[in-house]
Amino acid sequence: MMQSLKRRNFILSLAALAAAAMLSIVLAVCLGTVKIAPAEALQILLYKAFQLNPGNTIDQISAAHMDIIWKIRLPRVLMAAIVGAGLAVCGTAMQSSVQNPLADPYILGISAGASLGATFSILINAAAGGMGIAFWAFAGALGACVLVMALSSIGGQMSTIKMILAGTIANALFIAFSNCIIYLAGNAEGIRTVTFWTMGSLAAAKWHNLALPAGGVLLGCLFFLAQSRNLNTMLLGEEAAITLGIDLTKVRRNNLIMTALVTGLIVATCGVIAFVGLIIPHIVRGFVGSDHRRLLPSVILTGILFLIWADVLARSLLPSGELPIGIITAMIGAPFFLYILYKNSLGFAGK
Amino acid sequence: MDLSLRDIDVSLCSQSIISQVSLDAKQGEFVGIIGPNGSGKSTLLRTVYRVIKPDSGAIFLGDKNLKNIKLADSAKLMGVVGQFNHLNFDLTVFEMVMMGRTPHKQLLGPDTDEDYQIAAEALRKVGMEKQADRNFLTLSGGEKQRIILARALTQQPQILVLDEPTNHLDIKYQLELLSLVKSLGIGVLAALHDLSLSAMYCDKLYVMKEGKIIASGPPKQILTPELIREVYEIDCSIQENVNTGYLSVVYYPTPRYA
Repeated sequence: MMQSLKRRNFILSLAALAAAAMLSIVLAVCLGTVKIAPAEALQILLYKAFQLNPGNTIDQISAAHMDIIWKIRLPRVLMAAIVGAGLAVCGTAMQSSVQNPLADPYILGISAGASLGATFSILINAAAGGMGIAFWAFAGALGACVLVMALSSIGGQMSTIKMILAGTIANALFIAFSNCIIYLAGNAEGIRTVTFWTMGSLAAAKWHNLALPAGGVLLGCLFFLAQSRNLNTMLLGEEAAITLGIDLTKVRRNNLIMTALVTGLIVATCGVIAFVGLIIPHIVRGFVGSDHRRLLPSVILTGILFLIWADVLARSLLPSGELPIGIITAMIGAPFFLYILYKNSLGFAGK
Repeated sequence: MDLSLRDIDVSLCSQSIISQVSLDAKQGEFVGIIGPNGSGKSTLLRTVYRVIKPDSGAIFLGDKNLKNIKLADSAKLMGVVGQFNHLNFDLTVFEMVMMGRTPHKQLLGPDTDEDYQIAAEALRKVGMEKQADRNFLTLSGGEKQRIILARALTQQPQILVLDEPTNHLDIKYQLELLSLVKSLGIGVLAALHDLSLSAMYCDKLYVMKEGKIIASGPPKQILTPELIREVYEIDCSIQENVNTGYLSVVYYPTPRYA
């Protein structure tokens, strides 16, 4: 009885989140320097996506509005949704895999590793096009994972403090190298700016570069959803997970590879967007608890919502131009980081 | 199901911790390991529950070598209550106990009513059924210990491995926990601190010192003041209590400070 009631409430709230995400997509394409009425935007979306033309009023809509919505804003909003879902899922999976509520691709330097890989590939011009950059970003992210895991298990047991320190070291190192590459390469080779790589931007989102991150994030979401039971068991700590039959080394390795893949693809297209993987799982855990079978679907939808609106803020706060989205997420994320440290007193507050 | 260890050697950081330990826990037998701090009890148990790999020697579960059994399969046979149960994430008590079903489930298999019933029954056995919806981290040390035992019972194991299970428990719950474990009729391998309690519950005792087994057998045969002096470097008097028939161990103050 209790269980079925709980399940019904959970499915209802999941449906509500999904509806909110759909609504957010429609609203988010209306906002920007040119304001477009939601009804008009909805009409354009319905017409372009499904060839639906209720009331035959599509001819009255200006071509400029049509292009703004369909060619510029919708890809960008979808990219925000993809990146939000991807980073939030990666954060959740990492936190469970290393039994540490502070694990997140940004804090542990995985994102910085990916941006070093991406800038490096542009520098050596190894393989032009998205695939080459994405591959190197993945390699960088994976390298960062290995480095941080190795550094934080020096002298036996992994601990929160060691892991955060290892992440700080990795971050400093990778950012220095990629900034060095950007500085030396100049602007000539399409390497983009330090701002892009360290603060992220969704401005480059176009239909043609959505597919790769979308595919990676979808794969990551499905993979981790299927891993829910293992992720749950890993929350209990290394020893308990082993006594409950989890092959910890193998499962953790696979999880980290998948995290590196998703992070790499995201960073290659959008740069480093900080703290999303830290904030979202924590907020959602407060509502649905730690069971990943409930946590992960909620995290995916909340991540989508969060990043869509963070991007709306990023492009509407300034009267002209836009803020890098990483500034918005970091402004929300850093105080949150402090709050989690304080609340859990993870060996910092004298406990 | 019988558990047997043959000539186990374990070293950590190239330091030998366990040497040439052999041990048998037959089906349904309550086997205790006693010995001072640092004698290797926990390391031996962690080797049995597969967190540490032995350098040499073999562990058998039934007639199979443990290293040839998949982790998920040995977790169906062996439940463990370890010493460290710190969590960085909070779970409800019931979620915690349900984790014991993990080895029995496919990765994508849903929890069935049977799983819920097994978990609820385990929670009732440790007397925590009223706390099912509480958060694990808000429990006291002793309550946590009982929940971990309930989780191990939910695995429906043939053998229980317990590392100082009565730590944090007051005397009532120490007796309750050991009586409960004994009443299950399954094999038990437990590291214990309290000599009187170990004499009371164990069918067989192994005595460890400096990584070796130096005595083994039924408590009444092997627990002598001489052995205790050799192992713990203290003096005591051991008698059979006329009322209960159990051994009682009474200690003398350490002469150095007396």
